[in-house]
Amino acid sequence: MYIRSASAVSPQASFNQMLSTPAVYTGDKLNCIEPDYSKYIDPKLIRRMSRIIKMGVAAAMEALKDAELSMPDAIITGTAYGCLADTDAFLSRMVEFNEELLSPTSFIQSTHNTVGAQIALMLHCHHYNNTYVHRGSSFEAAVLDTQSLLEEGEAENILVGAVDEIIENSHAIISRFGIYKESESNKLLNSGTDGTMAGEGASFFVFSKNKEQNSIAKLEDVKTYYKTGRKAENIIHNFLMENNVPVENLDLIILGNNGDSKTDEHYNTVAQHLFGGKRLVGYKNYCGEYPTSSAFALWMATMMIEHGKKINNATSPKKILIYNNYKLKYPSLYLLSAC
Amino acid sequence: MDKQELMQRLKEQIIKQLKLEGTKPESIGDHDPLFVEGLGLDSIDALELIVLLQQEYKIKLNNAEQGQEVFRSVSTMADFIMERQAKQV
Repeated sequence: MYIRSASAVSPQASFNQMLSTPAVYTGDKLNCIEPDYSKYIDPKLIRRMSRIIKMGVAAAMEALKDAELSMPDAIITGTAYGCLADTDAFLSRMVEFNEELLSPTSFIQSTHNTVGAQIALMLHCHHYNNTYVHRGSSFEAAVLDTQSLLEEGEAENILVGAVDEIIENSHAIISRFGIYKESESNKLLNSGTDGTMAGEGASFFVFSKNKEQNSIAKLEDVKTYYKTGRKAENIIHNFLMENNVPVENLDLIILGNNGDSKTDEHYNTVAQHLFGGKRLVGYKNYCGEYPTSSAFALWMATMMIEHGKKINNATSPKKILIYNNYKLKYPSLYLLSAC
Repeated sequence: MDKQELMQRLKEQIIKQLKLEGTKPESIGDHDPLFVEGLGLDSIDALELIVLLQQEYKIKLNNAEQGQEVFRSVSTMADFIMERQAKQV
């Protein structure tokens, strides 16, 4: 399947700015730089939307515009946490008002499929609409569903994306597990201590079955696993073999290391044993760690192919492998080629 | 609190409850229709207004039809609240 467009609302203002002067964050999280939503959303609708809905809608509308597509054949979304702000508001009111006087808006918009549904409402799109909530493989599940629909001929063009947000309460709760640390995002990947920085983002893509004039890249393959027990080197090696791609043919490998010494060892082993420490680049210094961050990596890879720009001396990559392993439980692989 | 003060307070509460950013209390006329025309509110907003009445004034609507009459304008809302409060005394 082919990627016709990619768009992201992320802690980086834009891809070009990320290359030249990436936004640097100090603390334990990276928050999104939000666009002017009035460009994408009717003011009458915007008042009810929480931040994650606005982020998702903006990324989706931008992806559709870039693909010059007005109506997708399906909308598929992945999210681990869903609409946390509305869930937080709804649950807080349940406690505050003894389970009475609940705000209907927060209730309606607290469900995980709100972003996909809101996009469909705005487009008047009555086609297939599904949201996958599979923790660290939510986006991968959405992409696999996309692949199935396209291969079975059920759709020609699909809007697919992932959204996850940080809110104050959820960040405080997750922080109790000791997985975040204070750092500077530009030094995160080499910090060498326990913990990482939290992240968030909304990334959307238009995938098509056939190569179009404006196709950017071909997604050759995608695979995801859960607590596989197999060595990462074997998984990646087999994935490349299945696609007849020798390691030396890869121009760039995007890895999901996040600066946490407890998990970075895993990536270091892969980097050294499989790739000889060459042609590697991380991405979580740009977006932070979150369950659907692989969507940001796919956006970054697509943009790199489109713009032919360079990061870490990898010039104009034509073939890119993405390997992320969220919490070392959800290994996922993407193989992209320039069109 | 007289009706004028109550209507001013209601306008501020409606703006806050319905997140009508950019709308000022003085731009809502006392007798302006709240739904379809005027503020252009919809059925979800009606539910939010029911919650507002319960939360701020401890008043429950007896039936859905009553809402059409009560929520016609800020003035009808104020009349309804004052009538209920008088009965409670």
